Amino acid sequence: MRKGSQIVLDCLRADGVDLVFGYPGGAIMPLYDALDGSGVRHILTRHEQGAVFAAEGYARVTGKVGVAMATSGPGATNLVTGIADAKMDSVPLVCITGQVRSALIGTDAFQETDVFGLTLSMTKWSRLVKSIQEIPEVIAEGFYWARSGRPGPVLIDIPTDMLKASMPFDGPVQFVPQPSTQRRATMSQCNETAIALLQQARKPVVLVGAGAKLSGAVAQLRQLLDQLNIPTFATVHGLGAVEPEAPYYLGMVGMHGTRAANNALHENDLLLVFGARLDDRVTGDPTRFAPESKIVHFEIDPAQLDRVRPCELAVIGDLAETIPAFHASLRHAPIPDWSGWRAIACGPERAETDPRGLAQPTIRFLDELFSRLPKKSVIVADVGQHQMWAAQRYHSDAPRGFITSGGLGAMGFALPAAIGIQLAQPETTVLCVSGDGGIQMNIQELATIRRLGLPIKTVIIDNKYLGMVRQWQQLFYQRNYAETDLSDNPDFVEIAKAYRILGQRISEDAVREYPVSQETGDTLDRFLRSPEPEILVFDCHPEANVYPMVPAGAALSEMLLEEE
Amino acid sequence: MHIFHIRYRNTQGTLMRILTAASRRGIDTPYVQAEPRGHEHKVTLLMEVNQKQVGQLSRDWYAIVDVLDVHPAIAVQEIAEHTRSARDTAVTSHPPASAILPTEPASHPALA
Repeated sequence: MRKGSQIVLDCLRADGVDLVFGYPGGAIMPLYDALDGSGVRHILTRHEQGAVFAAEGYARVTGKVGVAMATSGPGATNLVTGIADAKMDSVPLVCITGQVRSALIGTDAFQETDVFGLTLSMTKWSRLVKSIQEIPEVIAEGFYWARSGRPGPVLIDIPTDMLKASMPFDGPVQFVPQPSTQRRATMSQCNETAIALLQQARKPVVLVGAGAKLSGAVAQLRQLLDQLNIPTFATVHGLGAVEPEAPYYLGMVGMHGTRAANNALHENDLLLVFGARLDDRVTGDPTRFAPESKIVHFEIDPAQLDRVRPCELAVIGDLAETIPAFHASLRHAPIPDWSGWRAIACGPERAETDPRGLAQPTIRFLDELFSRLPKKSVIVADVGQHQMWAAQRYHSDAPRGFITSGGLGAMGFALPAAIGIQLAQPETTVLCVSGDGGIQMNIQELATIRRLGLPIKTVIIDNKYLGMVRQWQQLFYQRNYAETDLSDNPDFVEIAKAYRILGQRISEDAVREYPVSQETGDTLDRFLRSPEPEILVFDCHPEANVYPMVPAGAALSEMLLEEE
Repeated sequence: MHIFHIRYRNTQGTLMRILTAASRRGIDTPYVQAEPRGHEHKVTLLMEVNQKQVGQLSRDWYAIVDVLDVHPAIAVQEIAEHTRSARDTAVTSHPPASAILPTEPASHPALA
């Protein structure tokens, strides 16, 4: 006989889980009681949101399923932001919540919340367990859906009496899905059409999203791009999928993308999309998005098609299969000479200019820092101006080297996510780039970092504002800085000290000279190479802005390039 | 008006996921009929949508794990009229002040 709680842990082990993140409470206590000796290591965060973001960080950097656990009621509701984040960014995640005992469900019992109902619209699949006998099947099926197709979040809500009950248990089971009934065009039909469109195109471009990375198709994608040799750009989640030194690569596209990428995306007449959903941050005003473009969309999830504009052709499937098949067909097809278009789109007139304006020192600081990182480091960015500066200055070819909350834009993501990343890759340098607003949303996780002795390096870009909101207020709300002033921030160096973490501050003056002084360089090197967790606070100008910027509701061609 | 027939496995939350694909877009669903159909279930939805929404909804529904197929079509007049007549007669108070007997057979599909 085994208890429900033991069966849950047995099933987690069977699905390859050896690390979970969570926070205990009443309804999930039986599961915590069974942890010892289960083979599953539990990381206690200081908030459930920290746990779910840490699980996400683990999943994003490994491609494995991240697991977060919480109790019923407030424990479960504190997971919700992370679940929504995982849905938006296609992160394989299983959240296990304790629920009040089954006899009390629906009675508004203490710490009862309908977390199943609450998360229906943001989970890929979910179950409220109704009997102990269901547990093995539910967990097996949950893990299957979390990692299959377009990965996403799964919620398993288990009443506490199911965790306490016992039953004879023969071992974990495997889930076998029923075959799909959807009919699709064959791959060869799609490829013929795609190649015909390519042959007619005068100004083709490629947009790369996260899909290629999630599918493990980066090598195949790079081979295809080398043959196509047409202007190519990436979404924030596509960063690292394309070789940054490739002559056809134009960097990040979208609201804060490069001038060259946004111009090429606006002017093209054929857009090949690989694993991106074309959200509003990429397209700008959808009614004026790429007005001459036909779209060929390679995508695993049909629900992502035609969200802003109907595509000419959808190639539905795992990019690990569709990209090589398309490339194989392309090898035998004559393709036009696009060198004239490439010369315009990738030419020197559109090349990145040196940073200017109030943001220049911050950008130089990030450049200095990033250039000193070991090659296979991971940068995890929070949400805001620093996120966009970091994305703009990220030039690594590591496919999973830049992690951020892109779709949901959840402030407070980076610090706990860094915990999951560092635990997944103990030898890797993990650099957390946060802002003075975002860091305070999950600052309690410094205690988790200290407890575990994780050598995470945290940079706080401190402009004493909610910077991105302030930037919008400056540009579009007549400088009415309503409720974005954080000038009464605590001293983050002292905060670090309270958590027994070394903190230090660096001013803009230290990076005004370029290259930086020996002293500043030594400070940065020592910071990055320390075996201990450390915090570095960078004093950023309060009115520094991120450019280029496509204003909300504008076309990509209407980007602002610098202060007017 | 468009009518959609969606075949699905009646697992926990699947019908709700189908409905929230419409509600998240602010689309009213004046007519919903869900019923067993062999080993599976079928839900019929009537809603005012444009062509773009037809495509988006269909793909969203297909993406739901236990949805088997989706058939969109232009609504037939009778169902639209049935909806109007159901709306006109649905004036009894709810929740009821006391227990009431069902006015229709229990197996009759629910109208929403």
